[in-house]
Amino acid sequence: MLRNFPQFASLLRRVPELIPALGLILVAAFFTIQTTNFWSPQTMTAITSIAATVGIVAVGVTVLMMSGEFDLSVGQNFAFVPIIWATLFVSEGMNEWLALAIALAAGAGVGVVNGLVTTLFRIPSFIATLGMFFVLMGMNNLLISGRQLIMFDPSPSMALLGAKIGDGPFYMPLVWMGLVVLIFWFLTTRMAYGNWVLATGGAAGPAKAMGVATDRVKRSNFVICSFLAGFAGCMQFSYLKGVTQGQGAQYELLAITAAVLGGTSLFGGAGTVVGSIIGAFMLCSIQIGLVLIGAPGSFYVTFIGIMLVVVVIVNTRVGQMAGGAR
Amino acid sequence: MAPETRLVDRSGPPVFELQAVRHSYGATQVIHDVSLSVWPGEVVGLVGDNGAGKSTLLKIFAGYQRPTQGALRFMGESVDFKSPGEARALGIEAVYQDLAIVNQLNLWQNFFLGKEIKRALGPIRIMDRAAMRSATMAALSELGLTRIRSADDPIWALSGGERQSVAITRANHFGARLLLLDEPTAALSVRETRSVLSSILRARAQGLGVILIDHNMSHVIPVADKIVLLELGRVLRVIERGEVGIEELQDLVAKKHRVTDD
Repeated sequence: MLRNFPQFASLLRRVPELIPALGLILVAAFFTIQTTNFWSPQTMTAITSIAATVGIVAVGVTVLMMSGEFDLSVGQNFAFVPIIWATLFVSEGMNEWLALAIALAAGAGVGVVNGLVTTLFRIPSFIATLGMFFVLMGMNNLLISGRQLIMFDPSPSMALLGAKIGDGPFYMPLVWMGLVVLIFWFLTTRMAYGNWVLATGGAAGPAKAMGVATDRVKRSNFVICSFLAGFAGCMQFSYLKGVTQGQGAQYELLAITAAVLGGTSLFGGAGTVVGSIIGAFMLCSIQIGLVLIGAPGSFYVTFIGIMLVVVVIVNTRVGQMAGGAR
Repeated sequence: MAPETRLVDRSGPPVFELQAVRHSYGATQVIHDVSLSVWPGEVVGLVGDNGAGKSTLLKIFAGYQRPTQGALRFMGESVDFKSPGEARALGIEAVYQDLAIVNQLNLWQNFFLGKEIKRALGPIRIMDRAAMRSATMAALSELGLTRIRSADDPIWALSGGERQSVAITRANHFGARLLLLDEPTAALSVRETRSVLSSILRARAQGLGVILIDHNMSHVIPVADKIVLLELGRVLRVIERGEVGIEELQDLVAKKHRVTDD
């Protein structure tokens, strides 16, 4: 069908974010009609704060998936890093900035281990990072064993990561999300590194033959992915002023879902950072929108599950029609 | 392609030289004591049956594989490649049958993969996409592929033969000294094969050393200055241009195979 519209097919190849953007518009339109308060400041606060946090995790996951690997440990890392940060500066009284730097470095260190285990031992990252998922889950439990670390008076570092912006409905996570998207959009589309990432995920053999250091690209992406997950976890802690070991549960799957809704391929070699952010906004709009129309809370996950499968089926068909197969 | 008299100047140092190279995969030795040289403006055909070690040799030339033993010399200098990137930096460009193209990248991204043109943007170096797009289009029109309208088109806009020709042109574009071709004419039409073979002769005329692996002797004979017949990881015979005909060469490759099977 799309073959009959070569200009449209070519536009889609050049701007693949168009399809998820269309999906987000449909979702927003649906809830605009079905509810009276979808665009209210309270709703916007809720959607943007969650979407910004999930979105930053999804950006890291996307860059990694583009190079053909997965990270199932991001959800646990999302709790691990703020737990270290909060333990050091709330419980131990360390300088908050130093504590933040140590915590973020520990988060990135998780990515170093994931990358080395995957590339040196040549095992699927699915397994390497599933192992890390359990390791971090155990460490989180060890560090706060079911307690909640709360900080009632936000410190300057927490304000920088999670405070309200002026009197408007928006919070700092949205600003950080914008910054992260800009940086990684630039890295993946304007710098040679983006080519190498897609080539590594698309066809590692030819990429290596053309002189791309595919293992190094993958290892860098594991670090990017883990760092961003930890950073987003610290944002969440700053915004909510507390952290539990359950923070970020299932975010590994949510981030992959956002990436796939945004057009990222599960097989590597295709994907866009902007698409994944749109995917994150789609997920969060549906989550909040369903609450607004009074649907039972548990309906959200069921709905997301169905939507994910439908979107992948549609994307596959559209991809074929746009001429993926000759 | 009428056979013409061609002489290769072998007075200077070879572009590339293998000296007493051995290679093993685990306990299996696949290359036994192979020495081989290619001079500038020389096309060397590597022939032999499956398992003769042609592809392994090509991967050693390309820096894709480090030989277990033996010396490599490039332009007279001893070299030891740790990656294909190092070999490429010296001007060794390989076009593999199955490793030439990344289907997920578009034309210009493929053409410049690993050697992207960059420009400064403040303190960082970003891709000069305009320059890469126009250079890609120029290379495509040089090949006569004028129906391609945009360098952003997907790579599957090209046929198999066109992809091989693009890969060979890409190698020339980057100032290669040595061109490695692994079955460039496999699964191509007659017309496409002719175009690939004339790309090879163009590269030769520009003074590149060329190593060509091909199963089809009627493709090797017209372009090769020297044919190296391999069997089970050893050089069986080095045949100079004009020494044997197509049928004789086919027999040489096939007969030996029957003997070893017995």
